[in-house]
Amino acid sequence: MPRYLLTQSASFVVTLWAVLTLVFFAVRALPGDAATIMGGLDATEQQVEAMRERIGLARSLPAQYAAYFGGLLQADLGESLRERRPVTTVLLERLPVTLTLAGMAFVLSLLIGLGLGVLAGLRPGGAADRATLLFTTVALAIPEFWFGFLLILLFAVNLGWFPVLGLPPEGLTVGSSWNLILPAVTLAIPRAAQLARLARARVLEERSSDYVRTARSKGLLPNAVGRHIASNALPGVLPLLALELGGLLTGTIVVEQVFGLPGLGLTILGGISARDYPVVQGVTILAVTVYVLVNWLADLAQLVADPRLRAPT
Amino acid sequence: MNRATIGIILFILVAGSALLATWLSPYDPIAPDYRNRYGAATSEHPLGTDGLGRDVLSRSLAGGRVSLTIALAATALTALLGGVLGLLAAGVGGLTDTALSRFFDALLAFPGFLLILLVVAILGGGSLQTVLAMGVAGSPIYFRLTRAFTRAELKSEYVTAARALGATRTRQLWRHAVPNFLGSLSVQAASTAATFLLVEASLSYLGLGVPLPTPSWGNVLQDARSYLTRQPWAAVGPGLFLAAASLSFQFLSDGLRDVLDRRN
Repeated sequence: MPRYLLTQSASFVVTLWAVLTLVFFAVRALPGDAATIMGGLDATEQQVEAMRERIGLARSLPAQYAAYFGGLLQADLGESLRERRPVTTVLLERLPVTLTLAGMAFVLSLLIGLGLGVLAGLRPGGAADRATLLFTTVALAIPEFWFGFLLILLFAVNLGWFPVLGLPPEGLTVGSSWNLILPAVTLAIPRAAQLARLARARVLEERSSDYVRTARSKGLLPNAVGRHIASNALPGVLPLLALELGGLLTGTIVVEQVFGLPGLGLTILGGISARDYPVVQGVTILAVTVYVLVNWLADLAQLVADPRLRAPT
Repeated sequence: MNRATIGIILFILVAGSALLATWLSPYDPIAPDYRNRYGAATSEHPLGTDGLGRDVLSRSLAGGRVSLTIALAATALTALLGGVLGLLAAGVGGLTDTALSRFFDALLAFPGFLLILLVVAILGGGSLQTVLAMGVAGSPIYFRLTRAFTRAELKSEYVTAARALGATRTRQLWRHAVPNFLGSLSVQAASTAATFLLVEASLSYLGLGVPLPTPSWGNVLQDARSYLTRQPWAAVGPGLFLAAASLSFQFLSDGLRDVLDRRN
């Protein structure tokens, strides 16, 4: 295995460990004691004590820490205090909605963001460039959830193309994924704007490089030059794409609330308000693990694509 | 008219309306008026009234004061926190540097909004808590910027000359390093303020930020969501205020960069 793969993988493991340790302490710093909450209002001292014993809060902190990582290795995230079911089961139930939503939003933002960014960058100052500038400026200044309101007002209330809220009782099916289009657009627009900005900057940078001048001077057609530029500029967008993709798992929180979609976002919000800490911890662990993983993969992909980056810094 | 000018004009309008909210507001933003519930937009109530009969325009004006204060306070906190620790890490070096860098790396490994949500969940909802949460979550960027700038300055020839003349480390930092990157930091800060306005609105929208009945743009919008179809202006109006404020900070940041940032 090449050296750069080894160091990257080691840093991935260390980062993940550090982050999961932070989560462990953060969850234990949440107000209120899980055993008291689980026992209910009229639990006696003994009952609360027994509960502490049962969910492992009576143990010392190092023992809890060991049990925490031991559980993680077996995908055991504890038991939801409110639903009295394994957190893993709850999460697996909610995951499809969030994943579908995040996937649709990601693809949309990729198409819009890269499309606009490359178009704008290839002809700076042109009509497409000015339109893109206006779009990115506005899209980054408006709050995501408010944009959702506007979409609901226009497409659900006035035009009636979409339902105002959520999913039908039978949940997420191929038919009801239509309901996810407005929330996906809501999520995609600000992310597309960020991508478009970066893609434009990268394309502009490539445009002024020597190989482009040479290609032009030997008479290569503008379209072919454009393809050269795009294929060299786009790997530079990878880190942002990773941040975006990795962040979408919890990036959907606000949008799920606006559209009433029962995904991970509503799950963690419900967990916070009901003080269901195993659930809060479970969603957090899942989200940060995916986030760290995706970013690591993007770093690797960049190293594979561009050998110049492999030199130790 | 360039972006900076538009930014300044927008900022004066938004900040002015927030500062003068008490005099500009036609009605009391907090006292309910049950006879006027869910009023449509009329000449007396340009944005209509909410579920408790309160004038939405008055609440938006008063909410601006709260939202802007929170966003600016959080920006100051996050820049100070990240900046001072970044300066410390670069100035002292060694183990301090490693420990601080690893800590901020771990913070950066969280998706931003999730980190803020966790801190708010730990501290409990509220205005001060919102400021603290955003202050912590935003600080890694400032830590990295300050640390990188300071290290570069400390290596430069004029600082070496100063050191040769007997300047202490503290003097090298405060007299030579800090003034040189304050401009770049303020560019970043204006952009952070624009983001924090949106984050505060999201938190308050989720009911985890500014507690009712105190209005902020976020919780006015949260309220408006529940009667969105009946009274759309109550949702559109405050959002426009918020967007204008965020836009003004973004433009100010662009303008500052053109003037101050040495990297360009």
